[in-house]
Amino acid sequence: MSLAGLSTGASVIAQDGSGFFRDRASDAGSCVSKNGFCPDWIADNFGQYTGPLQEHAVLTVTAVVIGFVIAFALALIAEKRRWLVGPFTQLSGILYTIPTLAAFFLLLPITGRGFLTAEVALVAYTLLILFRGVRTGLDSVPPETVDAAKGVGLTDRQLMWQVKLPLALPQIIAALRVASSTTVGLATLAFFAGAGGLGGKIYADLTFKSNVVLASLLCVALAVAIEIVLVLVQRGLTPWTRAVNA
Amino acid sequence: MSPEPARPAGPSPIPSAAGGARAGARGLSRPAARLELRELTKQYPGEDGPAVDRLSLEVPAGEICVFVGPSGCGKTTAMRMINRMIDRDSGEILLDGRDVNDRDPSELRREIGYVIQQIGLFPHRTIEENIGTVPSLLGWKKADIAARTQELLDLVGLDPAFAKRYPAQLSGGQRQRVGVARALAADPPLLLMDEPFGAIDPITRDRLQNEFLRLQKTLGRTIVFVTHDIDEAIKMGDRIAVLRTGGRLAQYATPAELLLAPADDFVERFVGADRALKRLALGRVSDLDLLPVVKVHDGDPSDWVRSQLAGAPVPYPLVVDDDERPVSWLDADDLRADRVVGAEGSDVAIVDGDAVLRDAFSSVLQSRVRFAVVVDERGKSIGVLSADRIADELLPRDGEQQPDLAPVADGLPTPTLDYPDAAPPFDRGTK
Repeated sequence: MSLAGLSTGASVIAQDGSGFFRDRASDAGSCVSKNGFCPDWIADNFGQYTGPLQEHAVLTVTAVVIGFVIAFALALIAEKRRWLVGPFTQLSGILYTIPTLAAFFLLLPITGRGFLTAEVALVAYTLLILFRGVRTGLDSVPPETVDAAKGVGLTDRQLMWQVKLPLALPQIIAALRVASSTTVGLATLAFFAGAGGLGGKIYADLTFKSNVVLASLLCVALAVAIEIVLVLVQRGLTPWTRAVNA
Repeated sequence: MSPEPARPAGPSPIPSAAGGARAGARGLSRPAARLELRELTKQYPGEDGPAVDRLSLEVPAGEICVFVGPSGCGKTTAMRMINRMIDRDSGEILLDGRDVNDRDPSELRREIGYVIQQIGLFPHRTIEENIGTVPSLLGWKKADIAARTQELLDLVGLDPAFAKRYPAQLSGGQRQRVGVARALAADPPLLLMDEPFGAIDPITRDRLQNEFLRLQKTLGRTIVFVTHDIDEAIKMGDRIAVLRTGGRLAQYATPAELLLAPADDFVERFVGADRALKRLALGRVSDLDLLPVVKVHDGDPSDWVRSQLAGAPVPYPLVVDDDERPVSWLDADDLRADRVVGAEGSDVAIVDGDAVLRDAFSSVLQSRVRFAVVVDERGKSIGVLSADRIADELLPRDGEQQPDLAPVADGLPTPTLDYPDAAPPFDRGTK
């Protein structure tokens, strides 16, 4: 794959070799030929979207999970060495400002076309949100709780895992939610890096409403599904946040 | 300072079947520890003077030692060095003769109860889990922890139903009780309390203080208690260490010594101009010699009552019922009839033998006759208290300060008891 392949949308779309696009000429006057929103067509062709949806989900979840592992590790490192908070924030901030498409370009010579390139860019994009989320969570733990925890004899490790992190969970999960929905959106660009996903479908025929609406709705559904899972996880893990003046 | 600390006698200070079994298995119900600070010094970087300066004192086992002083006197710093929350610069901290620096900090802290003003409960853990923190760090079995939690909830006066709630669901006073319960969970030989009741409303604070003192009577823990409030120090302390700005020990004494003989101007000012009155909070009515009173019953002849009063220290007869419970005071007007009618007299101020002198004094001042009747637990009158009696108690004792002065002349007016609104005494005898 050459850089030229990425340089224009047209040439990229040309590489979408699936060839599922309808032969509109054969059915003049129909909903499909008018580029309308056609429930029948959607019902018949839904199967073609499940593969890209799956790719999209894998792209998103992988990016958020890897991003979280990195951001979490950085946040823990910065816990002991507070002076690192600034540099880490700036670094992830710089990554955040690089446009995703530009990132694909920059990565091509190194990682080539495909899943890896898309992931590197998507992960880089989550870092700022997740790092800040974990730090905000850890910093929001009341100082008297930390003092009492040390005072009754928790070691530093116990303090982190038994007190600080559980109390930081609401902020951490909030950051995961933001990072996930952002990544679902950004992952529609992943096909520019040759990593598939629902973006491939959307850009394959931007004029066909049925296609655009269906692919977009699937993106939204994916984002909502991830959101619901995270909210349920939070409810399960943080019962105390709902226990007020019973 | 007492020569040798009295160790609490007997087995577990918290009686319970489970406690007994655990005590055997885990070496619990340890005796209270003796704490010794020697030349303890701490200077924070960038500060001009030390926060704590060569502080030396000894806390006998089972006593409450209060660190008190103005802000910046280093009292909290001194306390926090004991469980190594702050590293000292020099000096020694000996717990039962062993320096705390020889111990792993976390292990040491599990043996030292810790209560702070902000309480610092774990918001994400239930009350039960909060109280069980140290036992679970020490690896107790779940059933033991649960039993201990129930025991402690009971001990600090909380409904066992609180066990499953979260701290956010409790009031401030309830949370502070949980804080105390958490500190006591593993029966630590030493307790550190940093302004534990400081953030609580005055009424609840007073109650918690009283409850804590009652608790301490059974537990007999060694306690270092930090406060800036001299009244709280006097109330809570067996001994009080008054610290001055710069972390120097100004005086280390019992509350009575402190009030009676402040070591210097600083202590005197800190203790307050009303230090003689503060001693009212220390003594109890039962410590005083009470005045005898003429007791009469309904229907006694008035002439006989008048004859009984001749020379009596209390110039009013007290009407009592058949069980010797006080009914009313009589004055001259009430005795115009031939016989005593108790219902005619004025109300009686009644105080318990356990009451602190401050409350008793207040009762005396509110009584029309300026006497309060002291009753035993069955309500039976056992004597009478006057403002004079209480004032005598507040004077420095034998040889501590000035001896009694001999009156220059007889016939100076008696300083008390001539209140315009009180009925005139019938017969003052030859006084």
